[in-house]
Amino acid sequence: MKYKILKAIDVSGLTFLAPIVRLATGEEPDVQIRAIMQMIVVPIVAFAVFVGLWSQLAPRHKTKSGEVPTPAVVWDAAQGIWTFHAREGDKETAYVLAGEQRESALMAAKDRLAEIDPLTELADRQVADAEQEKSAQVAELTAPLRTKLAVVSERYGADQAARKARWMERADRTAVSDTDARLALLGAWNEHDLRTREEREELKNLRAEIDTVGAQAFPALSAAQKAQTAIAEERQFLRKRIEVLTAYNRNEKARAGEQQLADLRSKYLQADGGAAMAGLAANIARTRTRVESIRESNYARPYTLPMQILRSLLCVFVGFLLGSLIAIPIGILCGLSPTFMAAMMPFIALFKPVSPIVWLPIALIVVGGFIPDPDDHWLINGFAGLPLVGWMKINPAFLASAITVALCSMWATMVNTALGVASIDDDHTNVARMLRLSARERLFRIVLPSALPLIFAGLRISLSVGWMVLIAAELLSSSEGIGKYVWDMFNNGASDSFAKMFVVVFVVGSIGLALDRIMIVFQRLVSFDGAPTAI
Amino acid sequence: MAYLELAKVSKGFGPPSQRTAVLADVELAVDENEFVAILGFSGSGKSTLVGILAGLIDPDEGDVMLANKVVVDPGPERGVMFQNYSLLPWLTVEGNIALAVRKVMPGLSRVERAEYVQRYVDMVNLTGSEAKCPDELSGGMRQRASLARTLAMRPNVLLLDEPLSALDALTRANLQDEIVRIWEEDKRTVVMITNDVDEAALMADRIIVLTPGPRATLGPSFDVDLPRPRDRAGLNRDRRFQALRKRITGYMLNFTKTQAGDEARSRRRMPAIEPRVFEAA
Amino acid sequence: MTPEDRTPDDKFVEISGLTKAYPNPYGDDVVVVSDFNLTIKRGEIVSLIGHSGCGKSTVLTMVAGLNATSGGGIVVDGREVAGPGPDRAVVFQAPCLLPWMTAFGNVLLGVRNVYPHADVEERRDMVEYCLEAVGLADAMHKRPCELSGGMQQRVGVARAIALKPKLLLLDEPFGRLDSLTRMQLQDVVLRTLDEHAITTMIVTHDVDEAVFMCDRVCMMTTGPNARVGRLLDIPFQRPRRRDEVIESPEYFELRAQLLEFLAAQEHATVASRADADDPQQCAAA
Repeated sequence: MKYKILKAIDVSGLTFLAPIVRLATGEEPDVQIRAIMQMIVVPIVAFAVFVGLWSQLAPRHKTKSGEVPTPAVVWDAAQGIWTFHAREGDKETAYVLAGEQRESALMAAKDRLAEIDPLTELADRQVADAEQEKSAQVAELTAPLRTKLAVVSERYGADQAARKARWMERADRTAVSDTDARLALLGAWNEHDLRTREEREELKNLRAEIDTVGAQAFPALSAAQKAQTAIAEERQFLRKRIEVLTAYNRNEKARAGEQQLADLRSKYLQADGGAAMAGLAANIARTRTRVESIRESNYARPYTLPMQILRSLLCVFVGFLLGSLIAIPIGILCGLSPTFMAAMMPFIALFKPVSPIVWLPIALIVVGGFIPDPDDHWLINGFAGLPLVGWMKINPAFLASAITVALCSMWATMVNTALGVASIDDDHTNVARMLRLSARERLFRIVLPSALPLIFAGLRISLSVGWMVLIAAELLSSSEGIGKYVWDMFNNGASDSFAKMFVVVFVVGSIGLALDRIMIVFQRLVSFDGAPTAI
Repeated sequence: MAYLELAKVSKGFGPPSQRTAVLADVELAVDENEFVAILGFSGSGKSTLVGILAGLIDPDEGDVMLANKVVVDPGPERGVMFQNYSLLPWLTVEGNIALAVRKVMPGLSRVERAEYVQRYVDMVNLTGSEAKCPDELSGGMRQRASLARTLAMRPNVLLLDEPLSALDALTRANLQDEIVRIWEEDKRTVVMITNDVDEAALMADRIIVLTPGPRATLGPSFDVDLPRPRDRAGLNRDRRFQALRKRITGYMLNFTKTQAGDEARSRRRMPAIEPRVFEAA
Repeated sequence: MTPEDRTPDDKFVEISGLTKAYPNPYGDDVVVVSDFNLTIKRGEIVSLIGHSGCGKSTVLTMVAGLNATSGGGIVVDGREVAGPGPDRAVVFQAPCLLPWMTAFGNVLLGVRNVYPHADVEERRDMVEYCLEAVGLADAMHKRPCELSGGMQQRVGVARAIALKPKLLLLDEPFGRLDSLTRMQLQDVVLRTLDEHAITTMIVTHDVDEAVFMCDRVCMMTTGPNARVGRLLDIPFQRPRRRDEVIESPEYFELRAQLLEFLAAQEHATVASRADADDPQQCAAA
């Protein structure tokens, strides 16, 4: 049992779990604890230190597009993204609900709304209280400053008036011929002016000091405001949900349409004269079409980040599959025939370093050429008909992104496959010759298995390259996905956009990591010279 | 009085729950300037034994004693020569030897050191190849360089871990003679691990069999009472050699019996199917 | 096959005038083996012995058809050799197992190809029989990386005998094993050969192996231009027991003859070999 677990851990590459299993079975505790310290505790501590530094340093750095978000803000943004996604999902289901289900959902929504209405008031009150408290506290804190300000400003006002009066008095007494005295007075005015400005500056600083106290973060108030916003958002959502469950509901709208249709029909049956009948007939036909289209309609759901992540994953997978389907056969041919290799070499060398930014427009044009009308093309329709991925609305931009991924990522697989096939052990070739294996058997029983570990090493590189390329490709092609999300966030500039981009950093990183780990597992499963057996 | 001794040495690997005892209760006593061959087979822990003698591996139990003193760490008084040459590929023959010399005799001037290195290069008949890197040398020449490096450290005890088993028969014979010649000119204690009975009989004063593991231990010791210098070709007709060889082979046959005895013969018959005939390609 | 067109037992394998030369762009061709002649009886075990690089493995690979000949002919059971085939199964010096298959899979690979008409059951019987015969009943479903060197080589032997070859070719099959494992394997292989009377050619440089296993030893001169130097009959009756062979008075005499031949070849070579190991001898040459 223990060895099965350890073996599974070894194959999956999650070796940091092994000491825990060993410790649980009481095997050399001191060795295992040292291993756990090194493999688990140290990384966790390092990450904690990073988060700590981040939350300390982030508020000190302000940019034009807002503050650098702290970890807490990023976490809130992540939750916000999820709530938005969940609520859109609720609306989508609400749109198609019918009969009793709709009734009960409606009841629930109304109940909840009734429940939170008082909460709204409470939250409003809390915010008001907090604000009051804050202003009281601010007033208290700033009272001495303000008194000082009042005193000082009064004194300065008086001083200035007195200085000016004195000057006027001297000026009045100065004769026209007394040039020296007049020039001296000019100097005195300048002096007065300078003094006045200094005094104003001092007053300004005092005011600024008061403002700073007022602008200090006030946790109770921001918490109350957050609660208020949350409730307001939920209330808005519930109202919208009720709307979707009633007037906007697909079945309700259809029923209304049916009603209208019935009315029209009876009017038509009663109608007099060709002109009136024709008008009504046309109206009936129009309404019927409308009702039918309502019946088939779906909630126009906006793309949320989780959906965009799934779409990105599908896109990278399609691109990766496409690339592998091209790369592996070509790689095998290259490995088998040096002539073919020589023929392919210039292409590989030439196309490998080309950036995705260059491939993407070309791919867009080519896809556009093949699919002139995206609404009516077998490929697009074929994708739309697939289960699980049909909702993703595969479009030419998606295909162009996938093709870009394929074009950028396939080289590693191709080169590794060629190398794997070409470097087959002479011993194994001799065995095949001695047994007189047929060409097919030789390929599938000797050549491919021996090349598999290298092929998988190539696939692993391809997949991680593809994932990096994909984000850029989506950003450029506006194919709904993580890249597009980042671009939208960059462009919309809402207060939490910056935090949401940070969320994306972690999402992209974790998915890349997961993909790589999966490929490592595959690679270890096919590698015959067997790390997995090494227990 | 024995010069190099192993007293009740045991060594195992792995966690306590599934510990494999590689060596158990190994007792060895080698006299000063004696040439002992240890006859070991794959998986019997011979590399572990060399590691323990050299001080590279700590035994779980027991001690290694050199001139009646317990030794723990590796030291220049015990020179090891490995099967895989272990030369540094980016240094020339001279550089590889000089590296060891610098370690053991840091006081030498550049000229003295060069002379000293040259002496050992000449001793192993590598004159003319001092400036070559290991990858330009044949296996035999690499092993010579490795031998020169080990000898240049002037060890009191020379430990040879299957030094010749990667070489072809011809080179092997040459090097066997070479090692014996150097040993006779410049006596020191030698422990050589080998799996070739003839090699052991040709070179050593005494042959000790390491029983196959796990829990390998040293078996009986066979004295080689053949006069030196020994003649490779003539040896085969020597009665004493024949008797010795029979005794050792007879002893080894016990292991093959105990190991292969459980291979129950198949009661099956070979299926009576005939292979297809391939036409000439 | 009717008795009339059956190949005469004493000329089961005929190698005549076998030559191998590699082209040398800067002079005459390098002749590795020249005019090699050998006849093997049905069921006989013959070994080729010589120093490494003498061309004995070249002869074996030419008989196997893995290496083209430059002249002469090889006839096995009345058929001229032209290319490799399972009727001349080879056991290589390295076990050459496919590491992604179990021992069973490795043997089955050849069995499937050689017995296309047999049903799955029969093929499985054949594989299991052969693996049991070499003492691997318990390790059938292990992969090569889980087997020791000796066990891997046993799989190699099982794979070869499962093909029911007319001629079994062993190319220094135990060269990489230590002396104890080698003894065990020699016993196993010899027992199997005795049981099925397989005609066998063994390339070796181990004198004891040649004396213990073979009916006849073919001593080869050292190349270039390697040829048969001497043939030596080993008079022990088969099946043999190692302890009896060692005890017999002829054993050391036969051994001595082989060793003396090899030593003589060595002295002959040392003077002529360009790539000799010893630089002084090299300089003297």
